[in-house]
Amino acid sequence: MKCGLEIHQRLDTGKLFCRCSSALADTERNPEYKLKRRLRASVGEMGELDIAARMEQEKEKEFHYDGFFESCCLVEADEEPPLDMDADALRIVLGIAQQLHMDVCDELHVMRKIVVDGSNTSGFQRTCLVATGGYLDTSKGKVRISTVAVEEESSGIVAEEAHIKHYRLDRLGIPLIELATEPDILDAEHCKETAEKIGLILRATGKVARGIGTIRQDVNVSTEKGARVEIKGAQDLRTIPLYVQNEVKRQEELLRLISEIKKRVGEKELKAKIIDLTGVFGKTDCALIKKGMEAGGHVLGIKLEGHEGLIGHELLPGRRYGTELSDYAKGAGVKGIIHSDEDFGKYKISGEEKDAVRKALGVKKGDAFAMVVAHKTTAERALHKVIERANMRRVPEETRKANQDGTSSFMRPLAGRARMYPETDLQTIEITDKLLGEAKAAAGGGLEEKEKKLRGILNPEMAGRMLKSRNLQLFEELVEKGAEPMLAAGTLEQTLVELRREGLELRNPREDLAALFDEYKKGLFVKAAIPEILRGMCGGKKVREAAKGMERITGAELKKLVKEKKDFGAIMREYRLRVDAGELKKAMEKE
Amino acid sequence: MEKLKRVRITSKGRKYEGVMLPSPKKEFLVLKLDSGYNIGIRKEGAKVEELGEVKVEVGGERKMEAKKGGRGDIAIIGTGGTVSSKVEYKTGAVFPSTTPEDLAKNIPGLDKVCTFHAREVFAILSEDMTPAHWSVAAAEIKKEIDAGAKGVVVLHGTDTMHYTSAAFSFMLQDSPVPIYLVGSQRSSDRPSTDARINMLNACFAAANGPMANVGICMHATSDDEECLIHLGTKARKMHTSRRDAFKSVNVPPLAKVDYRSSLIEPYMKYKERGGKLKFDNRVNENVAMVYTYPGIHPEFVDKLSSYDGIVIVGTGIGHVPTNPFGDKLAKRITPNLKALVDSGIPVAFASQCIFGRINMDMYAAGRMLQEAGVFGHLADWTPECAYAKMCWVMGHEKKMEKVKEEMMSNIAGEISERSEVL
Repeated sequence: MKCGLEIHQRLDTGKLFCRCSSALADTERNPEYKLKRRLRASVGEMGELDIAARMEQEKEKEFHYDGFFESCCLVEADEEPPLDMDADALRIVLGIAQQLHMDVCDELHVMRKIVVDGSNTSGFQRTCLVATGGYLDTSKGKVRISTVAVEEESSGIVAEEAHIKHYRLDRLGIPLIELATEPDILDAEHCKETAEKIGLILRATGKVARGIGTIRQDVNVSTEKGARVEIKGAQDLRTIPLYVQNEVKRQEELLRLISEIKKRVGEKELKAKIIDLTGVFGKTDCALIKKGMEAGGHVLGIKLEGHEGLIGHELLPGRRYGTELSDYAKGAGVKGIIHSDEDFGKYKISGEEKDAVRKALGVKKGDAFAMVVAHKTTAERALHKVIERANMRRVPEETRKANQDGTSSFMRPLAGRARMYPETDLQTIEITDKLLGEAKAAAGGGLEEKEKKLRGILNPEMAGRMLKSRNLQLFEELVEKGAEPMLAAGTLEQTLVELRREGLELRNPREDLAALFDEYKKGLFVKAAIPEILRGMCGGKKVREAAKGMERITGAELKKLVKEKKDFGAIMREYRLRVDAGELKKAMEKE
Repeated sequence: MEKLKRVRITSKGRKYEGVMLPSPKKEFLVLKLDSGYNIGIRKEGAKVEELGEVKVEVGGERKMEAKKGGRGDIAIIGTGGTVSSKVEYKTGAVFPSTTPEDLAKNIPGLDKVCTFHAREVFAILSEDMTPAHWSVAAAEIKKEIDAGAKGVVVLHGTDTMHYTSAAFSFMLQDSPVPIYLVGSQRSSDRPSTDARINMLNACFAAANGPMANVGICMHATSDDEECLIHLGTKARKMHTSRRDAFKSVNVPPLAKVDYRSSLIEPYMKYKERGGKLKFDNRVNENVAMVYTYPGIHPEFVDKLSSYDGIVIVGTGIGHVPTNPFGDKLAKRITPNLKALVDSGIPVAFASQCIFGRINMDMYAAGRMLQEAGVFGHLADWTPECAYAKMCWVMGHEKKMEKVKEEMMSNIAGEISERSEVL
């Protein structure tokens, strides 16, 4: 097994090729305008039409985009050429590249990576290779970093219908740093360690975006006899080992299956003899087929010679070979396939119907078959896809989508270099020593320096924890604004985590916490009250409002209390959230 | 087929392997890595090792059934522009290079919309067009009409497309078939090109529409849906980059077109198909068009005396600096304009406002312009149309009074009788 990682992290700057803010519009907000577009694949610089691009084009989709005035301009609408690359984003990427011991290119060329699934209004993603040939030290040796690139984030998909895909434009154009490692990762745990360390280095710059969806890990897995496969969209580091293990298993199972197929049918290709089976289902009880036919669809089928029992072969729990065939068919615009290794009772397809289908397709013992129900041309295209996949007597190179359960689904063939085209709207960028120097300063001193700094203000345990925390950047901001380091760290790493377990979350952590520590510093309340105040703030209250009834008892008021109660324990029991123990002790001593 | 070299470049201890591409900058080598990325490497200190040759087919896209040699209903004539352009390695910019035949081949579905044949007249950027080019192109269009084309579609850069469309409107009067100019704001080498929909709609309307006008067919909105056909004399490019850059000025568009739903919806009175072409492609290339501006020097106007005709693009409803109240800082150019007119140079007026009709009776400045002999009163033409018209009128007419008379009479919809509420 060989495994490499590709990490995409959003940068905390303005958009890459326009001067829009990278702040996303509220998800509840109605779009201010809409655009309707169509795309077609074009030929790459080397004259090849990329296979992945062609595949999307075959779907003949229309794309609808939701636009928002503040976060999208004519550049996102593909109605204005890109402006210069965001200088901050470039500096951060150059800085990170230097921290990873990379060779920065002398001159940067922005490229267009053809993507015609509608996620980019232009039909391409702007991407720019910045550096090559670096490395990262890990517990199991060096992991080579092959490339660092800066590129545009795509539009977020909102919904998909048969022929229309809906996207939001606000995410389009946010800068991403893309880091790719060589296949030096030895095992699943090593993969996790590497991903974590890269994440740390990125966050240590303090210039990367935080929150869900701002970092994405794609896993590149290659097995010796199998193929290179890219798994996209693993949201959580903890699941990466599972994806790697599963992909290795899937390829092993596929290879086993392929040798069985070869045993049965040899190298002979399956023929795509498509038969219209609509007549068979005139009086069917199968709701799926009935509904499809009522919508003007046809039931088409093909024989899969010698495949009996193989379509149902389980590659991974819940994923059969048939699921792979079905994923390919989906590329043509159908919802899936029905195949002969399935339980037809589940579909309410009768025994007579099954026999009639077998007869019409000429299915003999040892053969399998597949059916789809859709408009005739769509259905034909889908079955051609099934045959195309079934005739691949190898593990195909693919880009796959990470599923929640640790498995993956086919998305598209692995895209090749043919989809790269120079971005002719932009001049090339010359990298000077001056720029590299600025970049080094902008990205901060790297991981070691960051650790040293944290050890200076936190206890060793908390420093280690903070270094790995996703809250690092926020922590530094809060300390910068005057918050006590240990208190800020504890609040971020403990108090808020506990509240989250209760289902409580701050709406604007940046602003809320800054206000909280500010009021604390001014003496409005004591440390012990913070969890309670935060609880109120999670409910939407401002800090002063949330602190009502928990204001600190101090000075003359405290003296009065000491005179009245006289007992330390009793006072603390009653006023734990309002009295500072140290101050109370002193006041008692004076008495 | 192009031959490129596969190389290994060593520079500052780094090693790169890939295909060498022509570099736009002298100091850099450009390498296409196997990943598809291009990078630049400083030539200084770089060692280049040749590893062999790579044959590259540039632009070899899917082959479509093009009726080679045969004639279709629609004649597609190429003049250049973004609509037929692709990457140019020397400068790294977009440059016209695809032939109309290539383009037609690369537009899936064009063969379903009409039968066609294509040829190229020039391959230039529209900013390089001159009145002489209008003349040559008009003659080529005439050939196509004489040979029986049911419609002519001209591929043209968008920058000066409205000048050309105005010129064609005068040169190819009463054309029995439609002549539509088509451009694109996104080059046809991009997946998001607008060329395809503009072309499909133009060809569809040229083959099937009832209209036989000169027009410009471009996106109606930012959406890839309908196109609008604008009357050739009333269109103007009003945006540097948007797909719907072209607008009809002072009149509604000629029609809306959508080939997908076979929609051709006229919005104004159009010329029907048929009749006899009135052809005159003579032009005078010695006409100037000059913007007035705050602080324009009167001597600048004097320098225009070498031209045969002048279009003054003034301000507002019909004004140039006249200084009627004798302000100390202000200057007037009306005496200088009058001197030009008196020397026999026709001077027409158009407004920088673009929209609206000229009225030189309303204010003193307008009346002074009329007294100086500048004409244009009550015209609602665009500056570009007035310029193209003057080039054309002065191609066959030299006498001041005749020029003025012909300029001020409506020939191809350039001066509308009433200002519609739009």
